[in-house]
Parts: sequence; C-alpha cells; structure tokens
Amino acid sequence: MSELVLSAWSVVSPYGVGSAPFSAGIGAGTSAVGELDRAAWPGPFDRCGLVPDFTAAEYVGKKGTRTMDRVTAIAVTAVGRLLASCGDELTAHPEQIGLVLGTGSGSVQSIMDFTRDSLVGERPYHVDPARFPNTVMNRAAGQSAIWHGIKGPNTTVAGGWLTGLLALSYAVRLHRGGHCARVLCGAAEEYSTQRAWLEWHGRGVEERESPLGEGGAVFLMETVADAREAGRTPLARVLATRFRAYADRADAQKTLAECVGSALDKAGVAPEDIRLVAPLGAGAELAAPEEAGIEDALGTARPRWIRCRPLLGDTSAASTSLQLAAVLATAGESGLGPGEAALVTGIDRDGTVGCAVLGGPARA
Amino acid sequence: MTTTKHVDAEGRATIKGIICDILEIDEAEMTDTSRFKEDHEADSMGAIEILSQLERAFGIDIDQAELARMVNLEGVVTVVDEAVAAKAAASL
Repeated sequence: MSELVLSAWSVVSPYGVGSAPFSAGIGAGTSAVGELDRAAWPGPFDRCGLVPDFTAAEYVGKKGTRTMDRVTAIAVTAVGRLLASCGDELTAHPEQIGLVLGTGSGSVQSIMDFTRDSLVGERPYHVDPARFPNTVMNRAAGQSAIWHGIKGPNTTVAGGWLTGLLALSYAVRLHRGGHCARVLCGAAEEYSTQRAWLEWHGRGVEERESPLGEGGAVFLMETVADAREAGRTPLARVLATRFRAYADRADAQKTLAECVGSALDKAGVAPEDIRLVAPLGAGAELAAPEEAGIEDALGTARPRWIRCRPLLGDTSAASTSLQLAAVLATAGESGLGPGEAALVTGIDRDGTVGCAVLGGPARA
Repeated sequence: MTTTKHVDAEGRATIKGIICDILEIDEAEMTDTSRFKEDHEADSMGAIEILSQLERAFGIDIDQAELARMVNLEGVVTVVDEAVAAKAAASL
C-alpha cells in the first residue's frame, strides 16, 4: 500500500485569502475574529471570523460567478490557489485527480433563499433556475472541479466539526482503492445570517455566544514518489485517522483518549514524538474533555498546542481542515522533521470523536 | 421598432437590465436586434434564466415555446408585452 503525503496546501481564512496571511496569523496567535457589519450581516451575532472583503467576483472573477454562492466561491478559490501553486503538470491528467471536499450542509443560505422564493413568489416556479445548483450540498465540490477542469472522482463529505478529518480519511481510502493517482482534499464553510441562526438555535445556552467563522482549506495528497518527482517537499505523511462514538458526554474524554491511543498505535508513533497538537476546542463543555483526553493519551509528552478556535471562530465543517492547515503552517516550508509527528483532534457535540496522526520522514 | 402597448420605456429598461445581467455583458453592447446566442454567447441555460427572471419581475407566465422568439431584445419585449396583455385580460 502506498502511503500518502500532504505536499501542498491552500487556505482561505478570516486572516485573508492565501496561506501566507494564515501562517502569519496562526504563528503570531492574533485573533481574526472582529466586529460584524450588522447592516450587511443581520442575525444573532455581532462578532465573526469573516474572510475579509471576500466575494466571488473579486476572487473567482466577474465572468460566470453571478449566481455562485459564498461557500462555493471559497472552495473554488482555495482549490484554484492550490493548483496554481503546483503548476500545470499537476492537471496534465485531470481524470486521475480526485477531489474530496467537506461541507456543513452546503450553503444553507442558498437552500433557504431558493425555498423562500418559491413560497413567496407569484408562482411556486418563479425561482431563479441558475441558483438551483447552489441548493445541493455537493455544489462546492462539483463546481470546484468543473471550474478548474478536474475530472477524477468527486466526493462531498459532511460530518459536523469532524468533517475535515472524515474527508482526509475518505481521500486515503479513495486513493487506496485505486480510483485516482492524486487527491485534493479539504473542507469549506461560509458565514451567512441563515447559518448563524441555525447555529444559534442548535447550540446549548453555554456556547451560544461563541462567534462563528468561515473559510476553507485544501491539501494535495500524493505518494512520496510522485511528490519528489514533481519537485514538491512532502510536508507530512498521513499516518492514521481514527473515529469513535460516545453516547454520554461524560464518556467523551475517555472515548477520545482511546481514539488517539489507537491512532498512535496504528501510526507507530510514540506519544513523546508528537510535536504539535491542534485540537478542535469546540464549545464550553467539549473543549476541556478534549484536551484532557489528549493528555491522557499522550501521558508525559509536552507538545506545542495550536488552538485555532479562539483565533478563527467556530468554522464548523471547515474546522478540522483549518486545524490541519495550522499544523502545516506551524511546521513550515520543510514540513514536519524526521521522527516528528502531529495530532489533529475533534469532539463533536453529536457524539463522535476523531483524530489524525501526521508524521515527518521516518528517522534515518 | 415594434409597438408595444403594455411594456413602457421603464419596463423595456428593466428587461434589458435583466438580460445583460444574465449574459454578463454591458448594456451598451446590446442593441434591439443583436442576437443573444450568435452575438452574446448565450446558451440554453441562459435562455431559461432570462425567461424565468422575466416571469418573476413582471409576475407573468411565459410558455417555453416562446423561447424561439426570444432571440434578441426586440423579440423578448414583444413576448413580455403579450404575456402582460394576457395577464391583464385574464384578470378582467
């Protein structure tokens, strides 16, 4: 079985479009959550981690973007920047490149707006047909591939906060099954008044005020041999992903500890080799058991912690992909060092936990 | 120019705005007789969008068979005018 590495990445985040502002922001630990323009973004929140000045017309182009919604534009932008950073050779065989993209529910704004038009219009069919594609949850993944001419398998994955990790796991299986030579994998989430209200009503009282964020991250996954042949530095090997479920919140900590322990076993990584840990840190009641569960699994190891949530806001489905990007940003241009490893984790409020273990080159 | 009884200059401007928005062109590029498909690179999806947006804007129904006549601004204004007239007659 050929192991995959992450060899390039691209981010659209509340720090701005591109990996440079993201790396600078994560490195400095400055929060990108700011005041929300309440006239443009009515709803329950007055603070948000919004991608600054982001529009489809500005970043994707004026042509063909009239009806492109925000999450699709974020995904198309992130994928486009990733491809641009890799050069033309990457897309020389577009049918051999898979795309696995995580999303929350697609664009809930698009879904609600379209439904509303049908209900309040003079006739139920007096809707804008060009906006219909926005109402399906695989719009962002499909449009990203169409826009950039990627013709391999196209998959949309949704799994709450764990979406990015689930997409990573799916991408590994897609490649292992021989369905593509390389995979672009990531997740995207948009801010909208509609999503804000859904979150507001769906959250418990204790976490209700926590600001939302938006953004997307996409990674190129390929074999070490392919990366080297293309002149790309393998930044991290994808050593293991693991998922577990808990029925009672009191068991979340234990469940995550087991999950991480199992992933480390599979990866052949000792706890003291973990240099970086990027937890989800979601919600008042889940952040503490998450960190405690990680500490239970890592024992006396003292890794560096990268906490994205306070910096970016709750980026929902994009969260764990942005955590993964934060690990690569922190590891730097040469990636994880020999024998070094990193851990990305999450506990979802709906009863799932998950993690990914990444590693540098094997120790010589 | 075809004489229209129900679509005034303002309505005509609305129609032109809708079409130019969908075709992603400047209004200056479009004349009364420039053809959407041949001159402005419209595809079948664009045609359906134009029909549907006009239905929404004017609160009218346009049969898809009318797409055959909706090849330029002049043709669209005529079709909309007839649909507005049909609506007015139906509500009498």
